[in-house]
Amino acid sequence: MKKTKISSDKIPQIAILITAAVLMLLISVIRQNYARKQIRNNLERNAEMELIIKAIDIRHSVEDVTLALRNRSWEFEQFLHYPDSLFAVTRRIVEENPNFAGCCIAMVPNYYPEKGPLFEPYTLRRGEVIETVQLASEEGHDYSKNPDFIIAAKNDTSFWSEPYQDENDPDVTLITYTFPLYDAYGDMAAVVGIDLNTEWLGKLLNSRHMFPSSYNLLLSGTNKLIYSPIGEIKHKDVNQIMGLINDSTAKRTVSASGRITIFSFIDWEDHAKGSVYYYTPNSIRPWSIAVINYDDEVYEPLIKMQWRNLLLTLAALLILAFIIQRSVRSLSKLQQANLEREHIESELNIARNIQMSMLPLSDTVAQRDDFNIAGLLEPAKMVGGDLYSYLIRDEKLFFCIGDVSGKGVPAALVMAVANSLFRSVSAHETNPARIMQALNEIGCQRNEQNMFVTFIIGVLDLPTGRLRYCNAGHEKPFVIGKEAKLLPAKPHLPLGVMDDMIYTAQETVLQPGESLFLYTDGLTEAKNESHELFGIKRIEKGLQDCITNESVTPEKLIQTMTNRVNGFVDGAEQSDDLTMLAIQYTPQEKPLVFRECLTLNNKVSEISKLNAFVQSATTTLNMEKGLANRIKLAVEEAATNVINYAYPNGIEGNIEITIEADESRIRFILTDSGAEFDPTGVSKADTTLSINERPIGGLGVFLVRNLMDSINYEHIKGKNILRMEKRYAGQIVKT
Amino acid sequence: MNTNVTEKDGKYIVSLEGELDTAHALEVEQAMQPLHELSDKDITIDCTQLEYIASSGLRILLALLKSAKANGNKVVLSNLNDEIKDVFKMTGFIDLFEIK
Repeated sequence: MKKTKISSDKIPQIAILITAAVLMLLISVIRQNYARKQIRNNLERNAEMELIIKAIDIRHSVEDVTLALRNRSWEFEQFLHYPDSLFAVTRRIVEENPNFAGCCIAMVPNYYPEKGPLFEPYTLRRGEVIETVQLASEEGHDYSKNPDFIIAAKNDTSFWSEPYQDENDPDVTLITYTFPLYDAYGDMAAVVGIDLNTEWLGKLLNSRHMFPSSYNLLLSGTNKLIYSPIGEIKHKDVNQIMGLINDSTAKRTVSASGRITIFSFIDWEDHAKGSVYYYTPNSIRPWSIAVINYDDEVYEPLIKMQWRNLLLTLAALLILAFIIQRSVRSLSKLQQANLEREHIESELNIARNIQMSMLPLSDTVAQRDDFNIAGLLEPAKMVGGDLYSYLIRDEKLFFCIGDVSGKGVPAALVMAVANSLFRSVSAHETNPARIMQALNEIGCQRNEQNMFVTFIIGVLDLPTGRLRYCNAGHEKPFVIGKEAKLLPAKPHLPLGVMDDMIYTAQETVLQPGESLFLYTDGLTEAKNESHELFGIKRIEKGLQDCITNESVTPEKLIQTMTNRVNGFVDGAEQSDDLTMLAIQYTPQEKPLVFRECLTLNNKVSEISKLNAFVQSATTTLNMEKGLANRIKLAVEEAATNVINYAYPNGIEGNIEITIEADESRIRFILTDSGAEFDPTGVSKADTTLSINERPIGGLGVFLVRNLMDSINYEHIKGKNILRMEKRYAGQIVKT
Repeated sequence: MNTNVTEKDGKYIVSLEGELDTAHALEVEQAMQPLHELSDKDITIDCTQLEYIASSGLRILLALLKSAKANGNKVVLSNLNDEIKDVFKMTGFIDLFEIK
């Protein structure tokens, strides 16, 4: 079975929805109640108007009847003298008034002696037929004992009877209007009774309804129905309503006049609720009118409104749910984006740390006294595409500075690659042009992003101050001697542009105390607020000022330049990575205590001569025997290499060996004019191989490197010059 | 530089005396040539009198070791002085030879 779980982060959304739903329902109920009250108030006002109008209508209609009868009084008087003509009178009255069911003239007893004590001409309508009879002649009919007759005769007044059913037609309700009739002498002669079919009044009363199912009732003074429109009405609860009208407890007075009462009822048969408005107007006293309305019709607009409201509420809730869903989603997206950003920022921080840790540590060269170096890298973003690097190998300082196109992470990645390539190629290659060549070839491979790097590689030979350098599209460095000058540097294409680019090295010799100042375009193109560039002139000026102040140490150069560029941009945003590298060449010339030269032929037998020469020097310098032996071995190995490989077979050549020593170091300089060969570039022999894998030979350079403190090779003017140095703690034996 | 090859207790004994530098390497190599050709017994190289060895000397020893091993024979080096032992350590030869 699949279970639907509501995840906890959805709970607030659902809570909001439920709250909104409850609020909407509450508002809708309040509105509904208010509307209901409004409708009821309106209904009461309308019902009051309706009742008043109906009362006036009925009064007019009844007055029409009574007035007409009164106006005919002369006719009755006139015919009183002719008893038999009274039949015709009654007949005419009934004939002329279709609403009249009958008309009788009940004479005061013994009015016409000739007609006996009772005489009552009477005309009645039986359906279409009109009959005229002398009622009194009928057996047992003594109208003088009829209460109506007695009341009329006694009180000498006209009045309306209670409603009663027609004897001839049970569906017809009749009501009798009774009035006294006087003769010419003003004596009461008879009582006239007009039987009226109440349908006439009922129709008048129900000629218009407030609502389709509404109906109106006319009630007598004793609250008997004068007319009820049975057959026209939907609900057959007239009896129930009549009962309620007679029961005074449920009533409530509503109108300002206090004559209208209202009460509710439930039609048990149809389960319909309704209300009754009951009015006893003075104009038709003692009659009353009741208006019956049914709630389902009265409140129909409300019910319609209810449905409409419900639909609207549902729609609003759906929209709200949608909005919440969307906003929550976008909120969570935002949160996620924030998290991701924080994540990226923390990763960028790590990347920055990694990048900074790629920079060479100044303490790796701290013990060197033959040069000073200082660098600064200030990325414009968290990480940058600038780099500088340096390393020492075999008494040479390899350094580089570069600027990767673009900024940020992509540039930083390329920078990291360039940095590690520089370091790995420099481990076995001394020529800056060839290092550059190697970097370019690797850099051009799969360079789909078309990134490029402007780069300068320099190799400073520390014993001699010989500086070889190669420029790949980078800003020219400054040489700072007596004055600050741009170093002539042929601008090749930057790295990564053309894979078959030929890079060539240039060279110069740094004099003791001279410095190099390298930088990226972050310095020259630093902008101030008015978009001026810092420019090469300001760099030159800064360096020149350093010379004037005799503060040309690399730290001072960089400090001065940093202060100047910061003062220049004056708070403007750093737009590019800023990198500087300064190197000062400070060779320490110590007085020599020993110097001898020997020239050998390129023959193996000459080695004995060499060994004797070396041994004599180590003895003179009073070296401990083990050290002397190690030195002898190193020099022999180096010389053997030259003898065996420098000159082609059968060609004679010379090897010149110079031994120099100051009080703490001994130096061997081997010079030959043979083929150019850089033993420092030879990769280290693998001493862990098994007997079968182990090549016979190849140990020479390995032994030299391991036995000496440093080796250094230069190829100058067609000559291979190999320097080997060893620290010693001896003293010259005075002879 | 003297190289003496003798046979004792079913082994060849090679005593090296003096300094085995590049100049003397050829001479030592020639003196040992018969051992390559015979190659029927284990070889002990007595280094008691050996004062110095260059990489050309190491080459001779390695070549001898390779041919002896090929015929199932051992090469044992005995009585190396400390400096030579250092060179053996430095070059990894100490792991190739049996040293006594």
